[in-house]
This record gives sequence, structure tokens and C-alpha cells, in this order.
Amino acid sequence: MSRSLYPLASLSQIRQTPSRADGIPASLESAILANACKLIHTAGILLHQKQVAVATAQILFHRFWFVSSLKSFSVADIAFGALYLGSKLEECPLRVRDLVNVYHVLLQRAKGKVGTEIGIMSYFGNTFYELKDALVVAEMQILKRLGFNTHVVLPYGSLVSYLRLLGQDRPNVVAKAWGYLNDALQSPVYALYQVPTIVSAAILLTSRFLAIRLPDAWWKLFDAEWEDVWSVCGYIMRLYHPEIDKKVVERMLTKGDVRTWLEENPRAVDVAQEENAIHN
Amino acid sequence: MSAGNLTPSRKRSKWNDEGDDAAEDFQSHPRSKRRVKARLVPRPSPSPSIAIAHPTRPSHCVYVPPRTQHPSILPSRSVYCYERLNQIEEGSYGVVFRARDKQTGDIVALKKLKLDEEKNGFPITALREVNALMACHHENVVRVREVVVGDTLTQVFVVMDFIEHDLKSLLTLMPAPFLQSEIKTLMLQLLSAVDHCHSNWILHRDLKTSNLLMNNRGTIKVADFGLARRYGDPVGVGGMTQLVVTLWYRAPEILLGAMSYSTAVDLWSVGCIFAELLLKEPLFQAKSEMELLSMIFKLLGPPTHNSWPEYFSLPLAKTINLPSPQPPQFRQKFQYLTSAGLDLLMSLLFYDPERRITASEALDHPYFKESPLPKHPDLFGSFPSAAAGEKKQKLFNSPSAPVRAADNKFSM
Ligand SMILES: Nc1ncnc2c1ncn2[C@@H]1O[C@H](COP(=O)(O)OP(=O)(O)OP(=O)(O)O)[C@@H](O)[C@H]1O
Ligand SMILES: [Mg+2]
Repeated sequence: MSRSLYPLASLSQIRQTPSRADGIPASLESAILANACKLIHTAGILLHQKQVAVATAQILFHRFWFVSSLKSFSVADIAFGALYLGSKLEECPLRVRDLVNVYHVLLQRAKGKVGTEIGIMSYFGNTFYELKDALVVAEMQILKRLGFNTHVVLPYGSLVSYLRLLGQDRPNVVAKAWGYLNDALQSPVYALYQVPTIVSAAILLTSRFLAIRLPDAWWKLFDAEWEDVWSVCGYIMRLYHPEIDKKVVERMLTKGDVRTWLEENPRAVDVAQEENAIHN
Repeated sequence: MSAGNLTPSRKRSKWNDEGDDAAEDFQSHPRSKRRVKARLVPRPSPSPSIAIAHPTRPSHCVYVPPRTQHPSILPSRSVYCYERLNQIEEGSYGVVFRARDKQTGDIVALKKLKLDEEKNGFPITALREVNALMACHHENVVRVREVVVGDTLTQVFVVMDFIEHDLKSLLTLMPAPFLQSEIKTLMLQLLSAVDHCHSNWILHRDLKTSNLLMNNRGTIKVADFGLARRYGDPVGVGGMTQLVVTLWYRAPEILLGAMSYSTAVDLWSVGCIFAELLLKEPLFQAKSEMELLSMIFKLLGPPTHNSWPEYFSLPLAKTINLPSPQPPQFRQKFQYLTSAGLDLLMSLLFYDPERRITASEALDHPYFKESPLPKHPDLFGSFPSAAAGEKKQKLFNSPSAPVRAADNKFSM
């Protein structure tokens, strides 16, 4: 009996994402996406949204960029559209109005405004309707670009049972590994690897951090391959050592911002082209 | 807290050594662009960093199939990949067309989702329908091929295999009722589809003969997941909606306002369908909820503390005057059914949802093992298809599924 399987990026989608094909360097792309995932996370907290909805949103968000370019879609719109959609999928829908309010505040904050500089938005003003429209359109774009396949499998259940199987389900261990799984949501790994591989990577990092001894080749119990587990660890660790200045990406929220940056940094485009040449 | 300050384990094993070297690798040279890039982007073959193809790989646990079996991320195609043939029917939630795939020539059914006046983006009910269909791959569930889009944001079509008949039209048009052996085959198919949905955590919530399609090879396909939802999900304020399941097929616990309900509601509907196959007409053709309840009380005998302990605590039970106790009337109504058949029917139409038979139990029921045995689907006769062209006569009017707007408003 076939269980339905969640989509993963194909090899050719991984080799060259649409953004890279548009001349956006890989390091910039991952920095922009990681930053947008942090926005989703913050919005989730401000809206008291459930973690499962936030995680689902982040995973759909990453899938989207394997079939769409940062030059054609505004990253912040897609991020909030993903949160809107993920909340419905997890049966805890948000009110558009609440989401628009939070979106507005976070946009202002990203532009460097603080406290009272952030104006209160009028519900009848243009901003409200523009942002609302952007959200609804972004939600639809995500659905279309993902072929309406929104099947997501979250890793938390597997984490708990794997740790139990390894006899390591103490609260501090679970909490640490859980944290890695959440951090990994800022990287594209959930669109690249199967859940058991990602969970194994979180366990591996946790075992290193807490100096826990695990049996030889334990990841094989979970049908994970060492190179894959190791590669996921790499994605997670790189999140803690960003290559690109935070201040640069925090302001890159629309396709316009990305285009401007590309015009101002012609050398980066060359580097990206070189990268593409290497991999093709 | 940064996980960068990894503490190396005190005891080093072999995999630990090789691991630490590589840990060095991704931590101490993060600025060398080329190298980071090389690792960021998994290399093409001969050594892709994603272990996609391992022909020698030991057999997988069934829950972790090889990565290659996962679908890739595929955008929706355009509806113009299909040539529109004829409209099949306008349901309460959408219009269904017959169409031809321009590439393959396959005949398909396109269901246009009604999205027009949506103020809250893509409707959650439409999401549930699409997701439930995609999640419930099964021989006896209509196969969804893809979801395609038109020119505007409100044009979304679910593309399904085209199935010639629906069971309701068939029952009306057939000169003679199905044979016992045929009913057994149909029931086994229906039960295995329902069992499959339930084991994937999906409630159908609108099982009825017009939502059961049947092809010319004697195979039933459950369709119309327009009211489906996952159970075990948060139910939202006010409990789950009572506006589910077309009246005639609606379980008594829903009629009596139970705040939550589960897989048993689908099995009640299956019981109604079983009876309809036997009688060649719907079992409870009631015009109102009250009339339906009294018909149920008449057939089953009114509920007692024994047959349904929770009855008396259900919200609407107080508003109902139970008729005086009387025995069930199953035997009188289904005179030609064997006692095993009768037992299955009564187990499906059982008051207490906790003790109502489950789909997997029903599949094992002795009814299916006694003579006459289920007929092989290939031996079913074929029928002219109303959906494929001829004008469809309006048949006896079964009430339609509850209206979606209400579903949106009251509950999720
Ligand atoms: N795959 C299909 N092949 C052939 N006919 C189909 C198919 N899917 C649906 N139909 C026809 O269209 C009708 C309506 O489809 P469906 O039940 O999915 O829509 P609906 O809008 O939910 O309708 P309703 O509310 O009337 O149940 C079905 O009863 C059937 O006659
Ligand atoms: Mg229907």
C-alpha cells in the first residue's frame, strides 16, 4: 500500500536553482532565505501561532525557491504567504488582519524603524489592502508553484522515537536536538533530504555537543546514509557562521531589492556565473 | 547559543575520528568561497552528495523508501493542456467536466474548484479536499493526476481519472438490482477504500451513492473529498461542524449534536449504502433531521442505556421524545438477506459509535466468506455511461451535501 511521499528537490533542481540561474550567488540566496525564515519564525511568535504551522510554512517556503527565482518573486511576500498557508494546513488558520498587522510591523522594523516610528496602519488605508492582497496572491503563487502538493512531514515525532530507541530520551538531549531541527528550518534541508536523515543529523550534532556516546553506525538503524547526515550537519553549522553581512540581507525583502543589489554588485554576478559554469 | 563550540566526545570511535576531521572542514574554512560553494551545491555525478542511487543498498524499512521514490517539486501545469469535452455535472462545490489530455489522449475528469468570492485566500476546505485526495492513493479511491490552473488566480482544476458511472445513477437506471455476489464485491471495495482513508487519518464525511463512482470493469472509486478532513487535528472552537454528510447518510451522533465524532460516522454512511444496494433505493429518504431520527428509531428501535450509553448526554437528546421501546425491524425490511448479511448491516448501523464496527473489522466479516462468494469485478456487466455524453436525467432528488459557506462560518 503506497503511502504518499512528500516532494523533494530533484538533482537538477539542486544543481541550479532558478535564483542562481538569474545570477544570484548561492551564498546570497541562502542568506536571504534564512533571513526570511527568521521573519516567519518571529511572526509566528508574535501571533502565538503553533510551532507545527510555522515549521510547515518554512518547509513550503524552501520548496518554493527550487522552482522560482528571487528576481521574480518578493521573498517577504512569499514568507508571509507561506505562514498563511501553513496555518491553514495545520488547522490553525490566522486572521488575515492579524497577519497583515504583524507583516507591516516587521517590514518597518527591517527598514530600521523602531518603537513609535512604526506608524499604526489604518484598516481602510491603502497599505492594509496592498499587504493583504500581496498575502493572498503569494499564497496562491506558492500553491501553483508547488503543484498544490503541500504534503509536509515534520521531524519531531521521529526525533522522540529515535532518541528513545537509542536510550537517550532525557529532556536535555531531546531539547538540544529539537533546537537543531528548528534551526535547520532556516536552511533548505527539508526540501533536500528525507526526514530520517535530518533527524539523524540533529542527533549527531547533539551527541557531539553533549558528549554522548552512541553505538557504532547508529544512523543505519534509521535508514540514513552517512554522507547525507554529514551534509545536513554542514547546512546546519553554516547557519551559525553566515558568510554574508546580516545587515545586507535584512533589507533585501522584495524582488526590487534583489535586482538593485545585483546592479550594484556586478562582480557578484560574475562569481555566480562562474559557480554555475563549474557545476554544469 | 552557538552550536559552533562543539565538544568533541571524550571516547573516540572510528566514525568519530572521520567525523571530527570533516567537522574541522566545515567550521574552519568557511570564508573560502569556492570551497563552501562546492559543498553547498551537491555535485552532479559521479559522486552526488545526495545518496540517491544505491543499487547495493540493503532493503529499506517500508517507512523509508529510497529518496528516488519521492516526487520532485513540480509547478502546476496549465488547464490548456486539456481539451474540454462536455460538462458532467454541476455539484454544490464545483463544476465537473470531461476532458482530453492533449498529449496522451487520455480521457479525464476536471473538477473546477469554486474559489470566486473567497475573502480569506485559498479556502481551507478546498485545501482539505485536494490534500485528502492526494493522501489517499488507493485502488478504490478516484486517482488524482494533478492540479492545473487557468489564466486567473481563481481558476483551479483537479484532474482525475474519468470514471464512467456514479452508483446513484446506476442504481436508478439498472433494470434489476445487483446480485448478492456483486454487492459483496462492491462492499469489499468500499470498505477497503474507507479503511485506507481512516488509516491515513482522513475522514471522508460525505459517503453516499452519488459520490461513489464505478467504471465498466466492476470497480468502485470513492470520490468527492469536499468535506474530508484529518482527524486528530485541532477541531477549532465549537467542536467539529455538524454540517457534514448529506442528510440521508448522516450518523445519529451528528444529528444529536455530538461535539466530536470520528471514523464511525463514515461507517454509518457505509451501512446506509449497503442497505441502498440491497433495496435499490436509499434507506432513509427523510425530509428533515427529525424525520430522519424517527426513521432511524423505527428501524433500529429507540436507543437504550444498553445500546447507547452516551445518548442521554448528547446536546440534543433532551429535546427529543423517544418513542416507546420496540424491537428492531431489520428482519422485516431485509427479508432476503442471510443472517450474516443482516449481522453486518446491524453492526454498521449501530447506535453507539464506540462499538460500531470499524472498516477493517467489517472486511473480515463472515458475510463475505459465505456463499455466494464475491463476484470477480471482470464479470460485472457494463452499462451505458451517462457522464460520457447522453443527457443525464434528473433522478430522484437526494438532498445535496451541506453548504460550504456554513461550514466555513461555524467551524473548521
Ligand atoms: N472522476 C470523475 N469521473 C467521472 N465523473 C465524475 C468524476 N468526479 C466527479 N464526477 C461527477 O461529478 C459529480 C460531482 O462531483 P463531486 O461529487 O466531486 O462534486 P461536488 O461538487 O462535491 O458535488 P456534490 O456536492 O453534488 O456531491 C459526481 O457525482 C459525478 O457524477
Ligand atoms: Mg458529490
